[in-house]
Amino acid sequence: MDATQDRSNRLSVTRAGGGLIADYWERLFTAREQGKQIVWYNGGALNPFFQAAGLAWCHGEAFAARLAAQRLEGPAQLAGAEYGYNAELCSYARTHLGCSVLTLQGEGERSGVVGMNDSRELAARLPSPDFFVNNYAGCSTGQQWDGISFRVFGKQLPIFNISHPFLWGNKPDAGYLRGEEWESASRYVAGQLRDLISFLEAQTGRPFDYDALSEAMTYIKRAAELRREGLDLCKAKPAPATFWDWIACVAPINFLPGDQALVDYFAAVRDEITERVAAGVSGVRDEKYRLYFDGIMNWNKLGFLSRKFAEHGAAVLCGRYIHNAFWQEPQLIDTADPILGMAQHYLLCPTNHGTKTLDYLTLRDCREYDVDGIVFHSTRTCRAFTGPQRLLAKSAQDKLGVPSIFFEGDVADASFYKEEILESRLVAMLEAIDVRRARGSQLAAAGAPVS
Amino acid sequence: MPDATDPLARLAGVARHTRGYIEGWRSAHPGQPVVGVLPMNFPREIAYAADTLPVVVQDDQQPVTEGRSLLAEFYCGYTRNLADQAATGRLNCYDALFLADHCIQLIGAADVVRAVLPEIPVFFGMLISSMSDTWAPGKIAEMMGEFRDDFGSFTGYPVTDEALASSIRAHNQDRQLIRRLFDERSSGSTAFTPGQLQDIVAASMVMDPAEHHALLAEAVSASREAPRDDRVRVHLSAHLCHAPRRELLDLIEDSGAIVVDDDLFHGRRYVSTDVDETGDPIDAIARWYAQRNATIPCPTRVQHDADWDTYLVGAVRSSGAEAVIHLLPKFCEPHMLYYPELRKGLDAAGIPQLLLETEHEGLPAESFRTRVEALVERARRKRPVSA
Repeated sequence: MDATQDRSNRLSVTRAGGGLIADYWERLFTAREQGKQIVWYNGGALNPFFQAAGLAWCHGEAFAARLAAQRLEGPAQLAGAEYGYNAELCSYARTHLGCSVLTLQGEGERSGVVGMNDSRELAARLPSPDFFVNNYAGCSTGQQWDGISFRVFGKQLPIFNISHPFLWGNKPDAGYLRGEEWESASRYVAGQLRDLISFLEAQTGRPFDYDALSEAMTYIKRAAELRREGLDLCKAKPAPATFWDWIACVAPINFLPGDQALVDYFAAVRDEITERVAAGVSGVRDEKYRLYFDGIMNWNKLGFLSRKFAEHGAAVLCGRYIHNAFWQEPQLIDTADPILGMAQHYLLCPTNHGTKTLDYLTLRDCREYDVDGIVFHSTRTCRAFTGPQRLLAKSAQDKLGVPSIFFEGDVADASFYKEEILESRLVAMLEAIDVRRARGSQLAAAGAPVS
Repeated sequence: MPDATDPLARLAGVARHTRGYIEGWRSAHPGQPVVGVLPMNFPREIAYAADTLPVVVQDDQQPVTEGRSLLAEFYCGYTRNLADQAATGRLNCYDALFLADHCIQLIGAADVVRAVLPEIPVFFGMLISSMSDTWAPGKIAEMMGEFRDDFGSFTGYPVTDEALASSIRAHNQDRQLIRRLFDERSSGSTAFTPGQLQDIVAASMVMDPAEHHALLAEAVSASREAPRDDRVRVHLSAHLCHAPRRELLDLIEDSGAIVVDDDLFHGRRYVSTDVDETGDPIDAIARWYAQRNATIPCPTRVQHDADWDTYLVGAVRSSGAEAVIHLLPKFCEPHMLYYPELRKGLDAAGIPQLLLETEHEGLPAESFRTRVEALVERARRKRPVSA
């Protein structure tokens, strides 16, 4: 790839998001000095509950992703490896557990700060938790990860777990957002969220502020609606923004506080995209191919992958991690009583569906965004995301004639990324798309029906 | 062909050639379904009470071929083997498949089966795995009730309390006899080798429990007392969901060690706990599921007051084991997550240990042998010097 020919044209507004995120982490790093209790949690976005309870919150995957995106994951992963975690273990979990190990080492200095001993490399100042909450749907490792964090901290800290039924789709009426399985699972998780509130009251010693929860969810719902509007605008040709722009928007929608700043941010994202559509500005200069991305993000390679696909004129414009996650169905949220809608979003984690539903969602998005091909990120240590990928690839080929490639990488461990494999397979798929188009043009010129 | 007069050989034959047993059972029970059960917690008792033959689907140790295009190579060997069995017709001997565990790799494999073999219904009811939750007992009982209903729908006949009680008795009786062999081994007997015990357990996962019990009783009555020798006493740990290769068990005992206890799934773990024979049978099966994790904690469950490391140290003290060998199937995330806690616990107790990571295809025999021999030497050096 020639680095001098960067054809990517990222949204400028996401830089503002970077500022919001930096402010959030700074508040978290200084939470102890502000006298706040700190909760470590994993899985679905529980932050509105913590916001309403007056807590500071750290999302484990987000912290691991942040370290990886800044290429600062090394010390935590090394600490995890020395503690005994196998390199094939989920690298989110491995990185975050490494942070726990570093935290405990730091406590030798009575700092209670992750990586105090190694702060130069880690550049992270994560305060140790007062308690844990686990909210993992779809991935068995996620639930066990917090169970192990609890043990690493000597079984001394309180922990609360929310269980999520996997949406397998056994019943005849089962489907996306419908059927008895969906309804009963929603009620079950909502009931556990009410118990979570009791747990938070016990930890904080304060009554839970339901009005604050409604307020936070009102902002989040609006932000989510704006996000969906922006995503829909990306169906335009050429696409005004890409998957990589939306990746840059994951942190705000996933764990920033529900407030006016969040709404303003997503309004700005939507507005910039709207302006681009009106002006015919594309996210990739001279867009030639439209691709779907399946897989969890490779955080070590965000900027690199953005440029790489753009160099080939490939606009990666939608994907499971973006379109089927992060408050993606805001109409489900009743802001006056948001608990059921929140429970439903936790269940809608993109790894918590059987392949039948994922097949429906993937093919739907491929059609709506008129994609030419699919890129599967075969995410080495994420079995939850990779499980159905082979079946989805076959289905897209059989039902839509959409070809796909797989490339190897990982969420937070750069050592699994195989550059040459991605390059050669991507080029081969794009050439195949060219050939198919050329054949279609010839048939059309000859007056034959084009399939 | 196993020797038809040797009960142990017949049990080994079933364990190693599951499909042959199923074929024979079908001939003897025309019209009765055979259901595949995926490990590790689906209650066979309910399936058996529904007049089906429940078979815990075994890793048949065939190389993964077509399954490679269905699941990623970094899924565990067992789940890739399942995908391969589905893709190559080796699962066609089942009329349905049932799953109760939440392991994402097992779910992935079950999804492959559902896609590749649409004519075989795949039932998945996820048993709660967070055992400390206050609502766990109720949710477990609810799910066991759903399994009962699923079988009623599947066979067209309701599963009665009487049938459940009878099934529970049959399974308890078989488990108790198998467990006796493990208890005798940990107390000093070597009447059965690790490979034979593995065959006995694997056969119990496949056979009609009454038939298995009768055959095993024959084998036990024909066995001879055999005390331990002076080899280093080891405890084998884990290898969840599927059995380690028999060659590995032989290799360990050929390297100066003698296996005196285990918590393998194809070992003591599978038979650790009986179902209460009194009261409502579904409630009893629900309590059995919860109790299993207290008896021998499993890393696939989250239970704050059940510690696998504590269990392991206690088991070692009880059997007189001098070392522990962790058998970790490559890519088994629950085991990978828990392993450092085990290491810490055993280190603190001064118990030598060795981690062997097993692969689905192949066995690096000489490398493993060297490592086991090194462990044996370490353990020997800890023995008190006799005057």
